[in-house]
Amino acid sequence: MHELGVIIEVVKYVEDFAKKNKLTKIDTLVLQIGELSAMIPRYIEACYPAAVDGTMLQDTQLKIEILPANAICRECGSVFNVIQNNKVCPNCKSEVWELLCGREFMIKEIVAY
Amino acid sequence: MNTYKIIEIKESIFSNNDRQADKLREELKNKKTFLLNLMSSPGSGKTTTVLRTIEALKDEMKIGVMEADIDSDVDASLVAKTGAKVIQLHTGGMCHLDADMTKQGLDALEADGLDLVILENVGNLVCPAEFDTGSSKNAMILSVPEGDDKPLKYPLMFSVVDVLLINKIDAMCIFDFDIEKVKERVKKLNPNIKVIPISAKTGEGFDEWIDWLRNEVKAWKE
Ligand SMILES: Nc1nc2c(ncn2[C@@H]2O[C@H](COP(=O)(O)OP(=O)(O)OP(=O)(O)O)[C@@H](O)[C@H]2O)c(=O)[nH]1
Ligand SMILES: [Mg+2]
Ligand SMILES: [Zn+2]
Repeated sequence: MHELGVIIEVVKYVEDFAKKNKLTKIDTLVLQIGELSAMIPRYIEACYPAAVDGTMLQDTQLKIEILPANAICRECGSVFNVIQNNKVCPNCKSEVWELLCGREFMIKEIVAY
Repeated sequence: MNTYKIIEIKESIFSNNDRQADKLREELKNKKTFLLNLMSSPGSGKTTTVLRTIEALKDEMKIGVMEADIDSDVDASLVAKTGAKVIQLHTGGMCHLDADMTKQGLDALEADGLDLVILENVGNLVCPAEFDTGSSKNAMILSVPEGDDKPLKYPLMFSVVDVLLINKIDAMCIFDFDIEKVKERVKKLNPNIKVIPISAKTGEGFDEWIDWLRNEVKAWKE
């Protein structure tokens, strides 16, 4: 499971960010994860407590927002959700498309003071 | 009383790694060291392929190998017997290598002056695809017993690699594995990919693979 290693990186980044910006308490950490990312939200949530243990984020709440896997069809230009449409353009049935989003793994924002 | 505020960060977890990877690639370019990132499932034949590749090229170039097995040095000691420089990377249970770990590995290998460094990444088709190691080129091995449906199941891996080696073709008659179907599936994901069927056991297909690698190493130095 690679989620733990990655979430530890996230925690380091946020701690660093908090120090630089002189924040004393972080209430909430908001992550954005694409539907096609190899990070599984359920696993992230499961290893989050271990990753924040003993850090500044120990009492910080974790929130995860899921970003849809949207693609644009190279044949007809329609934008559609790749997962819901089984990787086929619902308009023209083409399988040639370009992914617009869905692989992200982002620290979106923090709620802090 | 302090009030909470929302602070936007918008930092991609991968972008930090991507920056480090680009920097490492540039350093390697300046040092004229070609780094090949070799990825696959466990047991697909990475080490066997690496051994035969070293045998084929060791008289023309200086070669180093970094083995990223999670928890043993079996592969590293096999490679050391060829006379190539080799180190074992300890990934501490991580299922992939990132650019920073790769850089540390290159330092430990004392890679300056080497023409070619092969990184045997952790055996896994998911996570290594997400993390740019800073390599010059990415290669992947798919072995015949794994089945020809893998490009459907792990599309990201097949879309990030420059070359796909289909290994264990000596065992083709035992498995129903359709090379043409794989090529078709893979080209849909990655039109520029080079597909080379090989057998690390018999050496079949190695001429084409070695030619590809030799040319890439040469081009990197220009
Ligand atoms: N028949 C056949 N067997 C092969 C071939 N290449 C490798 N093998 C066998 O497959 C097994 C695994 O090969 P390795 O080279 O250790 O594979 P690997 O990918 O390095 O394995 P890990 O490092 O454990 O993930 C060994 O028993 C090899 O002898 C091949 O081309 N044909
Ligand atoms: Mg091996
Ligand atoms: Zn369409």
